[in-house]
Order: sequence, then C-alpha cells, then structure tokens
Amino acid sequence: MDNTYKLLDEAVALLRRRGFGQPRVAVILGSGLGDLADGLAAPVAVDYSEIPGFAPSTVPGHAGRLVFGAWEGVSVVAMQGRYHGYEGYSQRQIAFALWTLAALGAKSLLVTNAAGGLNPEFRPGDLMLIADHINFTGGNPLIGPNPQRFGPRFPDLSRAYSPRLREIARETARELGIPLREGVYLAVTGPCYETPAEIRSFRRLGADAVGMSTVPEVIAAVHAGLEVAGISCITNMAAGMGAEKLSHEEVIEAAARVKSKFAALAARLIVRIGRDAK
Amino acid sequence: MKLTEKIQEAAGFIRSIADFQPEIALILGSGLGTLADEIEEARVIEYSAIPHFPVSTVAGHAGRLVLGMLEGKKVAAMQGRFHYYEGYSMQQVTFPVYVLKALGCKALVVTNACGGLNRDFRPGDLMLITDHINILPNPLIGPNYEELGPRFPDMSRAYDPQYRELALEVGRDLGITLRQGVYMAISGPSYSTPAELRMLITLGADTVGMSTIPEVIVANYLGMRVLGISCITDMALPDELEPLTHEQVVRVANETRPRFINLVRAWLRRVDP
Repeated sequence: MDNTYKLLDEAVALLRRRGFGQPRVAVILGSGLGDLADGLAAPVAVDYSEIPGFAPSTVPGHAGRLVFGAWEGVSVVAMQGRYHGYEGYSQRQIAFALWTLAALGAKSLLVTNAAGGLNPEFRPGDLMLIADHINFTGGNPLIGPNPQRFGPRFPDLSRAYSPRLREIARETARELGIPLREGVYLAVTGPCYETPAEIRSFRRLGADAVGMSTVPEVIAAVHAGLEVAGISCITNMAAGMGAEKLSHEEVIEAAARVKSKFAALAARLIVRIGRDAK
Repeated sequence: MKLTEKIQEAAGFIRSIADFQPEIALILGSGLGTLADEIEEARVIEYSAIPHFPVSTVAGHAGRLVLGMLEGKKVAAMQGRFHYYEGYSMQQVTFPVYVLKALGCKALVVTNACGGLNRDFRPGDLMLITDHINILPNPLIGPNYEELGPRFPDMSRAYDPQYRELALEVGRDLGITLRQGVYMAISGPSYSTPAELRMLITLGADTVGMSTIPEVIVANYLGMRVLGISCITDMALPDELEPLTHEQVVRVANETRPRFINLVRAWLRRVDP
C-alpha cells in the first residue's frame, strides 16, 4: 500500500479538528449549483489546499473547498468546486477526495453536473436523473494500489446509480412538479467540446448526455460503498444537434436559468436521502 | 518553464534565423514531405536546432521546418511530424502548432496517410477530412492559458467549411476525385485488429490513422482555420484484412503524391487565408 491511508487519516483528523461531524449525505455541486452549500446551517468550510492529500489547485482563482453543515437537520458534507480531469488532475486525486468523504462517515452521495444533451428528445434546461454511465475518459480512478479498507480490487458497477435513490429522486421531482428525464451519462476528458462525429458515435454507444466530470467520482464512491444518485442539468444540445457553436458562456447561462429548479430538487433530495438513510 | 515561454523562445529563435512571417502552416505527412522541397526562397531549420522542439524518430519523416513562398503564399511547412506512438506527450506532439501560430500562421493544412474503412474508398484515394473522432488523450489537458485560447474550445466545425468547399472546387477543376469523410486516430504503433476496425466503423469513422487530431484540436483552440486531407494508402476492411507493412503504405503514398501535391498547390493558389 502507498501512503493513501496515512494521508486519509491526516485529512480526516484535520477536518474533525475544524468541526466536521459525521455527514449523512455527501454532495458534489457542479456548474451553477456551487452556492447551494451557502444555505447550510452552521457551516464550517476548509479549503482543499489545506487538506492533506488533496491536490493543489492548478487553476488560478479556483475556489475549491469542503463544507460541512446541516440541512433541515440532515448533516451534509459538500464539495464546493470539483476536480476535473481536464485541469490536469489524475483520477486518483479525484478518488482521494471521495475516499475522504467516505472516511468522514458519509453513506450516500448526490452528484450534480452540467451536461450536453444527445438524446434528441432532450431540451436545454432539462434535468436528467443519471440511470447509468459510460466511462469514455480513458482512465479509471481506481488504477493503482487498492485501498482495501474502502472496497474490493474489482468493484461491481452493475448498479452504480442506486435504484432505491433513483426511485426517491423520481418521487421527489413529482412532488415538486419538476419534470425529470432519465438517461445514460457519458464522460469524456475535455477540455474541448465534442465534434459532431464524436456526438454521433456516442449516441451509437448508448449515451443520452455527455460531460467532463462525475464518472471518476462515482466509480470511487461506489468502490467506497456509498449509495449514489446523480442529476445532470442539460445546458445545451451537443455539437451537431442544435446551436451553431458551443461556448462555456452558453453553458453557464443555461445553468443559471434552471438553477432555482435544480437547487430546489437537489436540496429536497438531500433531505430525503438523509432521512431515509439505511 | 511555462508553455507560453517555450513558445516564445522557439518562435523567437525561428525569427532570428528567418525574418519572415508565414500566413499558412503545412504539416506534411507520410509521402507528402517532398512538397516542402518545392518551396521557393526557402529557409530551412532542422527541428533539432529549435528550442523545445522534439526530434522526429520515424523513417521517412525528415524533421525540419521550411519557410518560404509556395503558390504566392507565405508558408511554413513541417517536413515530418511528431507522433504520439513515438513516446512524445500530447503537449510535445502539438508544440509546433503553437509555434506556427506564434509565427503568424492563421491557417493550418494537415495531411496524412491513413487506412480506408469506407467500402467506397480505394487505395490511392484522397479524402477531405470533414470531421474527426478523438479517442486519444486530449492535448489541452492541464492548466489553460487564457491568452492562447478558451478553456472549453468549440469543435463543432473543426475543419473549416469554406476551406473544404474550396478544396472540392479545386478538385473538380483539376479532375481529381476527392472523397469526404470522418477521420479517427488510434495511438498505434500497432495497426488495428479486425475487431477494432469493426468498432471504429460502428462509431462512424471512414478512415483510421495515427496522427492529425491532436494538431487539429490545438489549431482550433488557437483560432486557426484548418484544412485536412488524407491519402488512403490501404483498405482496412475487417473481413478482408491483409497483413500490412509500412513499406506498402509508403509506396501507395508515393504513387499518389503527384495528384496530392497538385491539389494542395492549387488550393494554396486560390485560398484567401
């Protein structure tokens, strides 16, 4: 074993010293949802740069921090800002963050992201419950020595997105009157957006949405025994399927338009998951 | 040292040797390298002399930068390119594109030799690249330099539609049949198995090669307009696959060369970069 355990113990010790309790639910907040964590009661926050084993930021002004607090009585740990492979982080570094959440005691993970729509029935602004994923990043966060403390060398991914949590998500969306699509998320590394030929190939592979995150996090979370739910915000239709050119500004704008709906669903879901925790 | 500093050093060195501002960059693949010998008022710089340039290791790839005039256009031609399978990082493979842009190039013409997956194609055909499918590591992974290009570059028109239209016109005028299709790159150096070729066909590829895409991604990132032309040197049909050697590829590329050169020269003559 490498020094993963040692660093994890140090990370958890630091976070406990700084006031982190045992979270019921972990959340990773993607593009546009970052300030959801600001609504936590009695929050404590620690910058990634202070946490042992957490990768230093490669991006100037990259505000990455871990926030602990409560939401309607449910204790939550939130990753505010995530590590993306395109920034140059190894997937192992992404796994380390998820292992830390598991080591803090989280039992469930809600992961959110912004994604491009491939399913022709989708429209920008739709929310999609992730039913399954296709790892097209060319990497895997579990490559390297296996931290057996968390999970097996060869983890099962036959139900990476918990059927139980998906049912809860559908119910929650119905109660809130928010339409929820469901589909397969395919992850690429980025950072460039896809070509139309790539998008056609991903549709043939069975993808409904494409993005640059989430899959490494979910693999590491499932490995560590977390029950996972994922929701994508479809911010644009992918290349060759809609608008002429893709820009990050367009993605941010679309994410901002549906933010209230997305935030309402995510917040409610966190509470439901926390209260129904096994 | 930061990427931007390396680019400036390399470009500064080239300018110190050749006081010349090229407008069109050419990356000449297998078989087309001799086009660089037709450049007039040529100034030739070995890659090995240029700061931070990797050195080409493949037989048939010369490894030098030729600056000068071709069909009345100011060009900078790479005679020999860097391939991922040689062991270079994607940043090394694409480093020359950054330098060519820094020298002033607004356009990039990329050529390659590749295998045909589309049954309508024949060895010796020339194909205009309409789009690509990238399954290799992305050359832009890492910190972004906003002064070079955006964090999330658009790839919806990686191969400039106007440049493609002009190439089709030029082909018609010269009587050169020009196929059109999607290029997909594998890392190599091994050629694909029949099962892999079936997968590439399923994904929508018309040709398979081992280059070009990293360079085209970076060129788009830098705001350059791109023309890509492939020479189909062999058919890579999964159920009729014959053992293939690099010598065969080079032979067909050489036979196709006169047509290929005519096409590129005529396009250069008429393009407004």
